[in-house]
Amino acid sequence: MTFTSLAARNILRNKLRTALTICGVAVAVITFLLLRTVLSAWTSAADFAAKDRVVTRHKITFVMQLPKRYIDQVRQMPGIKTATWANWFGGKDPKHENEFFASIAVDPGTYFEVYDEMEIPQDELDAFKADKRGVIVGDAIAKKLGWQIGQELTLESGIYAAPEGGEWKFTIRGIYTTKARSVDRSSVLFHWEYLNDGLPEARRDEIGWIVSRVGDAKQTADMGVKLDKVFDDQDVQTLSQDEASFNKSFLAGFSMVLKALNLVSLVILVIMALVMGNTIAMGVRERTSEYGTMRAIGFMPKHIVFFVLGEAMVLGLLGGLAGVGLGYPFVEKVLGRWIEENLGAFFPFFRVPPEWAVVALLLSMVEGLVAAGIPAWQASRIKVTDALRRVV
Amino acid sequence: MSEQAESIIRLRSVTKEFERGGERLRVLENLDLDVGRGAFEALMGPSGSGKSTLLNLMAGLDRPSGGSIEIDRKRIDQMSEGELAAWRANNVGFVFQSYNLLPVLTAVENVELPLLLTPVASSERRKRAETALRVVGLQDRMQHYPRQLSGGQEQRVSIARAIVTDPILIVADEPTGDLDRKSADEILTLLETLNRTMGKTIVMVTHDPAAAERASMTRHLDKGRLKGEEAPNREPAWEAKT
Repeated sequence: MTFTSLAARNILRNKLRTALTICGVAVAVITFLLLRTVLSAWTSAADFAAKDRVVTRHKITFVMQLPKRYIDQVRQMPGIKTATWANWFGGKDPKHENEFFASIAVDPGTYFEVYDEMEIPQDELDAFKADKRGVIVGDAIAKKLGWQIGQELTLESGIYAAPEGGEWKFTIRGIYTTKARSVDRSSVLFHWEYLNDGLPEARRDEIGWIVSRVGDAKQTADMGVKLDKVFDDQDVQTLSQDEASFNKSFLAGFSMVLKALNLVSLVILVIMALVMGNTIAMGVRERTSEYGTMRAIGFMPKHIVFFVLGEAMVLGLLGGLAGVGLGYPFVEKVLGRWIEENLGAFFPFFRVPPEWAVVALLLSMVEGLVAAGIPAWQASRIKVTDALRRVV
Repeated sequence: MSEQAESIIRLRSVTKEFERGGERLRVLENLDLDVGRGAFEALMGPSGSGKSTLLNLMAGLDRPSGGSIEIDRKRIDQMSEGELAAWRANNVGFVFQSYNLLPVLTAVENVELPLLLTPVASSERRKRAETALRVVGLQDRMQHYPRQLSGGQEQRVSIARAIVTDPILIVADEPTGDLDRKSADEILTLLETLNRTMGKTIVMVTHDPAAAERASMTRHLDKGRLKGEEAPNREPAWEAKT
């Protein structure tokens, strides 16, 4: 028997209460992990953005369009390796009204050079390039909606009205996959030219944004400044940012949601501390006479503090292990896969960041210590004769 | 007998006051007391007479409001909290009315508990605890938890815990208060044996005249004052040896 084993023994004193507390802590840890994963997944597109990509958009907002001729000027800039452009289409499949996915009109010749982390079989890419009404779709959305190569697809856009007397009709020519965390596996990509040809004369030859790859990744920020200078004196001014900044500016619109999630994850920690604090306080109150006995036979207040804190720390650790042990595989193997396939537009990479699993484990122990602080202090300060009076 | 030379416990002009509901209550009044080495003394008195308070003072669990307390020539009333705790660990064994065993520990672990505070090695701690349990006749109950023992057996474990550090003084507060007559007799016989064969000084608070009869001397407290010594019930162990 040692001081440590003595502290740990008390854990098993009231098995039901201990089990319920461990469950409470585990649920709090799982919720905390889930929230941190949501936050991490939400910003992963920005966090894992390519370092050598520059996104050029309208200076006022990315909703406003740029003249298509700008792409030629960008490509002529020294230091630009390759460049492409895209338009947000805002499409929906009328058969799946409630499904959200990104639909983007792209330049088929250059888009996949710039986004070379997207993987498409060569024959499917060739078929896509050869068909003006062809689309390439992400594997997650294809799986979810049961889309097959060769299948006809009709989309309705909230931004672009359908061409006169017709619909936006497509044929699925390929399915892309990716291992990159920044790429949404639920996008629908089609020919910009098909969109452009279907628009009224006044809306033609406009593009949403330009994406360029820079030869030297260290020059990405400088290149953005240089590009904007080129367009400063022209009819439409631009704002060029590295991809991470561009993604972050897009996420800025959700900043309140992110702040709220951050706040809720902190509230979870407080709840976890209260659950443990309550258990420890009850245990200490029940054991007052035992602590009195121990003090009588020579144990010092510091020993009592050690026993109470030790018990709380072990309780927190067990709860943390249960939470991480259950939560990690659940998110990794079940929930995460479902979210990536069904909500890939928002969370293309929904995995528990390992560092947050470690943090959750450490926090559960630290929270145990914090929660037990006051009960431990009170137990150590009680007068021996008062503590013994309960039974003597 | 030179009482001053032989006394292990010397209380001089000891008073103890408590504050209760804004009022100061004097529980012990200018009390002088000498207990000889190897004595087995019983303290009797009505509820509120101050006997438990006196026992707590002798055991270093509480401090007097005035006067001095000397145990084995050490002024324990002048010790700090830390010094008192260390002193208790080395010099006093406690026997409580409700046994006060830790329910999560086995009998042998409960007995081993005070040795955790000593530099004794783990294997030696266990050996000493087992020896103490043999002394109280519980060699076949070492791995039992308190809930698996009878009241008398629990009190025996408590006594084993009290003697495992080989203290100079054993204080027992109503050690038979929760026991039936038969178990009470066994416990008193055990205390008597410890006093006679090991020369342990024992001070016992009791309400039970039959228990007090087993002590070598009985003192009576009333309203915080000693009512005068009674004649010895029997010859104390320390005198028997001389």
